[in-house]
Amino acid sequence: MKAWLGLGLTLAAVLAAAFAPWLASHDPLSANFAAFLKPPGTPGHPLGTDQLGRDLLARVLHGARLALFIGACTVVITALVGGTLGLIAGFVERWPSTALMRLADVQLSFPFILLALTINAIVGLGLRNIIISLSAAGWVIYARVVRGEVLSVKQREFVHAAAALGMSRWRLLFRHILPNVAPSIIVVASLQFSQFIVAEAAISFLGFGVQPPTPAWGSMLSESRDFLYIAWWLAAFPGAALALTALGVNLVGDWLRDTLDPKLRV
Amino acid sequence: MRRYLVARLAQTALVVFLSLSAVFLMVRLSGDPVTLFMPMDIQAKDVNEFRQRLGFNDPLGVQYARFIAGAARGDFGESLRYRRDALGLVLERLPATMLLAGTALALTFVVAVPLGVLSAVRRDGLFDHAGTVVTVLGQAVPGFWLGLMLIYVFAVQLRWLPTGGIGTPSHLVMPSIVLAAFYSARVARLTRSAVLDVLNEEYILTARAKGLAETRVIGKHTLRNSAIPIVTLAGLEAGQLLGGAVVTETIFAWPGLGRLTVQALLNRDFPVVLAAVSFTSIIYTLMNLVVDLLYGWLDPRVRRA
Repeated sequence: MKAWLGLGLTLAAVLAAAFAPWLASHDPLSANFAAFLKPPGTPGHPLGTDQLGRDLLARVLHGARLALFIGACTVVITALVGGTLGLIAGFVERWPSTALMRLADVQLSFPFILLALTINAIVGLGLRNIIISLSAAGWVIYARVVRGEVLSVKQREFVHAAAALGMSRWRLLFRHILPNVAPSIIVVASLQFSQFIVAEAAISFLGFGVQPPTPAWGSMLSESRDFLYIAWWLAAFPGAALALTALGVNLVGDWLRDTLDPKLRV
Repeated sequence: MRRYLVARLAQTALVVFLSLSAVFLMVRLSGDPVTLFMPMDIQAKDVNEFRQRLGFNDPLGVQYARFIAGAARGDFGESLRYRRDALGLVLERLPATMLLAGTALALTFVVAVPLGVLSAVRRDGLFDHAGTVVTVLGQAVPGFWLGLMLIYVFAVQLRWLPTGGIGTPSHLVMPSIVLAAFYSARVARLTRSAVLDVLNEEYILTARAKGLAETRVIGKHTLRNSAIPIVTLAGLEAGQLLGGAVVTETIFAWPGLGRLTVQALLNRDFPVVLAAVSFTSIIYTLMNLVVDLLYGWLDPRVRRA
């Protein structure tokens, strides 16, 4: 039941993102000063318009594009970087392992959102830099989880048996250890996905990250604050889209964890 | 126990030192703040003089040594914007952040632990299902959107509460609810699964078999044994909250550490960024240490290990 709801919401977000230009009858960036701040239900503008007369439905749909794109890029980058480092740190238990875990400790001594925000303030604004910032702040959790899993898989009998049969270390790593660690990587990735989407929105909301007029949910919510007294819909719809997407992805992540790796606590 | 304590303290000191270095490097890499604070028509000579005065012309190594030596004495330099001691500005904001963090944390535990325990005890009952819906929603709804919606309903429409700021208890209501909503969801889910784990243990069966009252089985045998994961999460969340809830404080114009950090980042006020981020990371690391020490108290097995 929960899994189906999650899959449904996630699928809806993906479809909205994929077909945004065809689903919306307006350009998300084209202003129309004759029709600004129209409430939802206005003919031609089902969700109303914003302070510049831009169609809110078009902006919310295009926002899904941006959010999922940023989330997907960040999840892939962090899983590859963090997963590889964790794999090496767990497999080669010498100084690289210790050094990497100390680095992870240092990173974990900052709250995630503060770290991503600070990095973003340093590397600069824009789409590419928000992906860089979130990735730089988010790879640690994979490294930790994967290293722990590798350390425990290494002790299993089939690994000892393969090593005793003379299998090379690299073959051991890729044929026997990686497939046993992969489910954890998938689970962490799915649970991180919504965190990245929400973090991106929060950072754009604070005035960093993706800048207006690009239709990002976070910066739309930020702009909506000035019109909260007269136009509730500007705050309601982008936020609802964000919350429903995060909910859907979270539920899928929970379901994946329950089926693939019930012991994992993230 | 003493050796463990010493080792943990040394490790904490190392992490604090490394994170201060990381903060310094990150902030220095982001470029020169001087030109931003100069009037448009300034002479190049004056810019240079200003740089000289702030020490931005020295080699990076010298600046780093000066930063670490200063940080050890609690001296992060002077705010470029307010012309005041940077750490002083941070400490000035601390009471507001502590008030908000304390209220939110208390609210979290009053709501979440009973919710989690009841859901676990009445597993698959109506209460459990309702609780699951609430906690799943609580985790997914972003705090800043919940904040905006609360402001719209309770400040704009009903006019019951102020939109933001600090001063009366009514100012505290919405920000602490927004913070507690997210953290309670996590604590309730974790409490539920921790209690379920313990309920499967054989000593619980024994306790029930010897005729112990159910309130005692739950209140004493189960809760104490499921406390470790809950305490861990609580410590981490306290650390996060004390570092200042950057987003929530910004929405509600709450004059705490988080809002100061965001403003300093926006203004490129480096000494304040350094002071605030270093302070947060120290608090966070110390909270981790406290959690580890609490383990020893909750679980004697850890002490011996």
